[in-house]
Amino acid sequence: MITGMDRLAAAVRGEKSDRIPVFCNLLDQGARELGISLREYYSKGAHVAEGQLTMREKYGYDNVWSLFYVGKEAELLGCREILYATDGPPNVADFVIKDYDDIANLEIPDDISASPAFSEERECLRILRAEVGGTYPICAYITAPMALPAILMGMDKWMELLFLGPADVRDALLDKCREFFVKEMRAYRDAGADVLLYSNPFGSTDIVPMKFFSEKALPWIEKDIEAVGSQGVVYYCGGARFNKVIDVVLEKTGIGVYYLSPLDDIASAKEIIAGRGLTCGVINDIPLIDWSRDEIRDEVRRLIDAGMPGGKFLFGTLVMPLAIPEQNIRTMLEAAYEFGSYGRDAG
Amino acid sequence: MTDEITIEETIKGYNEAIFDTDRDRALEVVHEALASGMTPEDIVFKVVLPAMDQMIKAISEAFDTNLAQHYMTAQIADSVVTEMIPKFKQAPEVAGRVVIGSAEGDLHSLGKRIVIGCLRARMIEVTDLGVNVSPARFVDEAVAHGASVIGVSAMMVHTARGPNGSLGVRRILKERGLEDRIKIIVGGAPYRYDHELYKTVGADAWAEDGVTAGGVIAGLAEEVPT
Repeated sequence: MITGMDRLAAAVRGEKSDRIPVFCNLLDQGARELGISLREYYSKGAHVAEGQLTMREKYGYDNVWSLFYVGKEAELLGCREILYATDGPPNVADFVIKDYDDIANLEIPDDISASPAFSEERECLRILRAEVGGTYPICAYITAPMALPAILMGMDKWMELLFLGPADVRDALLDKCREFFVKEMRAYRDAGADVLLYSNPFGSTDIVPMKFFSEKALPWIEKDIEAVGSQGVVYYCGGARFNKVIDVVLEKTGIGVYYLSPLDDIASAKEIIAGRGLTCGVINDIPLIDWSRDEIRDEVRRLIDAGMPGGKFLFGTLVMPLAIPEQNIRTMLEAAYEFGSYGRDAG
Repeated sequence: MTDEITIEETIKGYNEAIFDTDRDRALEVVHEALASGMTPEDIVFKVVLPAMDQMIKAISEAFDTNLAQHYMTAQIADSVVTEMIPKFKQAPEVAGRVVIGSAEGDLHSLGKRIVIGCLRARMIEVTDLGVNVSPARFVDEAVAHGASVIGVSAMMVHTARGPNGSLGVRRILKERGLEDRIKIIVGGAPYRYDHELYKTVGADAWAEDGVTAGGVIAGLAEEVPT
């Protein structure tokens, strides 16, 4: 039986499997599968693991997630208040950094694996590794040091500090975030995560000017990757576009997987990557809530037709809002399996 | 006496600083112009506001602009206008009144902050309701402040589409017979990925980014009879 890992490995090598790998990022939907509230679901790593395994089995896609919600990283750094919703992801409700003095006091745990705030993620990863380790890629979400302050102090306060200074305070925070990032990456790798999504909106020219990217963001990205190695790392900018920087990122960091924005041009990304890495074409999954069956199929086909020729291509989703009807998830995935099949070449 | 600086030089220098997200340089250009004899009114109406409009034009023509530039455009415009207004010969007329906040359940505030900076620079009186704002509070505050536009920011799909965001504001405006007097504008990430979503949530308008929102809201404020 061909597994998700087989498909991913084949795509990375530029070889054909039965079909292209298909990654579907269902998170909150796990609570619905288990018939429990989001708050209860996310309180236990065992629930999250069960939700991930159940959904992968049910829909047949190729990955599972150890990610609970993005604010979890803030909890590892002292956040104690999360705002839960009934119809969407939990959010950080209390910023760890309220003023610049808090930056000096921010403590990075010595060993994240041993941190109590990591215990449920560790349990989730233990179960995922036991159940699908080596057969289905286990994904982890790791916020880049330059983006992490956004969940520690709020994006607007971080933009203010990043662009307007004071520089020494900004650099002190970035250094702490780098230290956390390196330890977090180690913790996820040790716990069995194979695919490490390096999430950095500041690596996108939708977020920062090219001048800032070249002079500030890129050197930080280079240092980040130099510190942890590029093995399993996926370049991702939180849904923002980054075609314009792929070439230089690839050259400077050796990152081999690029998880595009739904707004990026896939064919152009493939041309830039030119066989040096895996291109992940991402569907704009917000309109999936309302699209008809035909609209979904047309869009999936358009993306796969743009990315599949020449191989080294993965079809993926972005955040998959909870409001997407189950039928539309199925329609999207069935279309991805159908149009992404290598048997289609022969047919 | 400082050498005279032409308005064209000031506009060029200010615009370049904005596009480079260089606040210090932008403020330097403004202060040099002021020292050379340019009036505070000209600095606001012939330099700062046209720079915002130029940014909007660049965005609409798919020229490269980005969130950092939008943020800096708003922050710089807001601080320059705040500094210049007390120096005006006559206090400027209020061009409209707006209340703005993030939808209930939404704690994101960056987009809202950009919009507020741009609106203040346009002489629009803005009441910032903060984050996690209920539909009833949006409407109550709009009525209390005589606002003709309610801005509802939402960065997540569930807060954009849910009953306690723009949809809730629309419901209350309808129930209270205020739809002719108060318009709704929405913004935030979900709208960038689905350009028809603003209709689904009962809004009158949407904007792709904070700087554009400033212009759209100013237009809406002018449309609504006071």
